[in-house]
Amino acid sequence: MQTALWVSKTGLAAMDAKLTTISNNLANVDTTGFKKDRIAFQDLFYQVQVQPGAQLDQQNESPSGIQLGNGVRVVGTQKVFTTGDYETTSNQLDLAINGQGFFQVELPNGETAYTRDGQFQVNSDSVVVNASGLPLLPQITVPENTTAISIGTDGTVSATISGQAEAQELGQVTLVNFVNPAGLAATGGNLYQATEASGDAVEGVPGEDSFGALKQYALENSNVSVVEEMVDMIATQRAYEMNAKVVAASDEMLQYVSQNM
Amino acid sequence: MEKVIYTAMSGAQHALMAQQIHANNLANVDTTGFRADFERVSSTALQGDGFDSRVLASELTPGTDFSAAALVSTGRTLDVGIRGNGWLAVQTAEGEEAYTRAGNINLESDGRLTVNGRAVLGEGGELVLPDYRDLDIGSDGTITVTPPGGGALIEAGRIKLVNPETSQLVKGTDGLFRLDSGETAESDENVILASGHLEDSNVNAVDEMIQSLQMTRNFELQVKLMQSSDEQAKLGNEMISA
Repeated sequence: MQTALWVSKTGLAAMDAKLTTISNNLANVDTTGFKKDRIAFQDLFYQVQVQPGAQLDQQNESPSGIQLGNGVRVVGTQKVFTTGDYETTSNQLDLAINGQGFFQVELPNGETAYTRDGQFQVNSDSVVVNASGLPLLPQITVPENTTAISIGTDGTVSATISGQAEAQELGQVTLVNFVNPAGLAATGGNLYQATEASGDAVEGVPGEDSFGALKQYALENSNVSVVEEMVDMIATQRAYEMNAKVVAASDEMLQYVSQNM
Repeated sequence: MEKVIYTAMSGAQHALMAQQIHANNLANVDTTGFRADFERVSSTALQGDGFDSRVLASELTPGTDFSAAALVSTGRTLDVGIRGNGWLAVQTAEGEEAYTRAGNINLESDGRLTVNGRAVLGEGGELVLPDYRDLDIGSDGTITVTPPGGGALIEAGRIKLVNPETSQLVKGTDGLFRLDSGETAESDENVILASGHLEDSNVNAVDEMIQSLQMTRNFELQVKLMQSSDEQAKLGNEMISA
């Protein structure tokens, strides 16, 4: 059967995958600390019909062979770790990382996950947790009768307790970084987990070495650019249509043969 | 026997093959750094006795359209687009050097730079970056990094950029380009990189669409010819048997 049909099918599948990525990015345009995905395409292998330089006879060789492409494939998706815009809030446990780094939270199974989402709260056990209730690491417990919490740019957490003149130091928020953050596995819930490709987590103090400083009363917005995604969506939709048109054209050719010969 | 049916057949076969090339170009309309293929066909006169109207269509290697495509801004430092002519050197799985226009460079956990899984070559072999805080790629491919602790910038290597004559380049079965002599190209100082950009595919979608439509009609013409040739042969048979 005609190969053009299958070639266009790979085009349709690729555009479909791209549209899924775009719609996921757009759906997360307002998700704190979200990093957009990008899809990478590559041309599929070429099929050799006639080898260039093949011997036609003892004296002559074919000046050029015939190589036909087989379409396109999705090589992978990639998280793009550019920083999002910062937004100031009035919540004292909202933290933004101004630069590189990830917060660490403890998963129910005891493993550590990483996030850029700094919307922290205090749970019923007085422990600082993220929006989904996972405790921040290193764990910080807020004492009773705390009236205000202040977090320095280096991650030092101190609390003002009613009846006490001096602020009490509660602990230190640390950040981690990876050699290759794009290699982290996104597990949903704004969380990432380390993989072979990302390398091991390197822990450090905010504002030192390559780690970004912390900003209290601020959050990092999603780094999705709406206009960019919309333009991408239009281009993808049209590319999809063109591939569908070639499917129709190939179909018409086959139909013509089967009905007229 | 009427021979025209074989002549028409070669035309129809060419239309099918050309359709695949256009389908492949359109499937790669969004593939970073993709270079479109041309379909090419030549007329081959059949040697031997008989009336010399038997000229068949025979396919040649699809040529490659080497024109540069538009650069799209991505804002990611490791994305590089090439302004005008030139190629990035990468290493294939077999350890050979090959050339590509796709500049979506990835950093592996061991510090190696890759494009679609193939190592990016520097002036002295594979590029490996040290741990860094910030990275810059200059327009001549020089990579400078800021060490994790801050301080003076370090030059971490230079991407090998080449610019051989396009007539010497052939597309391999993996979609990468190589010199047809099998040698490796000299690096060229005049190739200009744009960090934070990627190059689009250079497929002209409208062109491909129109050619694909034209091939459909061309194919129908050939089938029509086969039909009329069949008709003639049938009439001849009827006359003989009458």
